[in-house]
Amino acid sequence: MRSPDGRRAPEPGDTEASLLARAQAGDVAAFERLSSAYADRLFMLLLRLLGDRAEAEDVAQEVMLRAWQGITRFRGQSSYFTWLYRIAVNEANRALEKRARRPAGVAIGADELQLPAPAALDPSRQAEASELRRALGRALADLPPPLRTALVLRDIEGLSTQEAAEIAGLGEAAFKSRLHQARLRVRAAIGDEVLASTGG
Amino acid sequence: MRVPARTDDHEWSQHHLSHYVEGDLRPRARRRLDRHARGCVDCGRGIRAMRALVYAAQGLGGLAGVRAPETIFDRVRSAGAG
Repeated sequence: MRSPDGRRAPEPGDTEASLLARAQAGDVAAFERLSSAYADRLFMLLLRLLGDRAEAEDVAQEVMLRAWQGITRFRGQSSYFTWLYRIAVNEANRALEKRARRPAGVAIGADELQLPAPAALDPSRQAEASELRRALGRALADLPPPLRTALVLRDIEGLSTQEAAEIAGLGEAAFKSRLHQARLRVRAAIGDEVLASTGG
Repeated sequence: MRVPARTDDHEWSQHHLSHYVEGDLRPRARRRLDRHARGCVDCGRGIRAMRALVYAAQGLGGLAGVRAPETIFDRVRSAGAG
């Protein structure tokens, strides 16, 4: 059964473990149900890492294909979400490497970052928040991909250091080092005056 | 006798602002940065800026209505049918 948007809808009795077992036995529909739970979040991650909707759509398809092709090798040492996210980060990095070999890059737009203006703020504070969003978008786009990945996973996605490090394929100390470097660069790019004036 | 501040305190503090707001400094290092920032306008503002940066980045989280494209499983379906 499909939901109105064309994706497989979860059915009563479906658990992640049962869907995983069926997917590993070759059931495509079970794989879709299993992965659909994370599809929106995974696509948002790709938008943040790649900054380009068309490229994110292409990479998202590739991530799902890679996951499907590798599902029998998933042994449950991490959560399915962590495993899927790790594939997504690897595929995003691969796409960024390809892009680096092309003449012009694509900047991450504020729209891709999806920061809603907080309704509780007065107009001048909303304008400041929008400006900060744009500045953050530009600064993120200028980060080298490994640093951008660290900041996106830990600060924007809100993952724990342990989970984010695992997804990035790093030890926690190495991951933290990248995160701190990323924050220092973004801070330098935006400037203390702008950041400190927006509060926090 | 008052011990003069180490001459490299400012550069060291500037480099460890993210560690500071993340809670990654050992107590002695945290006290060192606290002590320096109390008398340093730049580092005091740097701490506020770093906190604001982390807060703003956290505000970017969430899906904000973004949906994965309907085509996301197209290649899986093609491979599964093949």
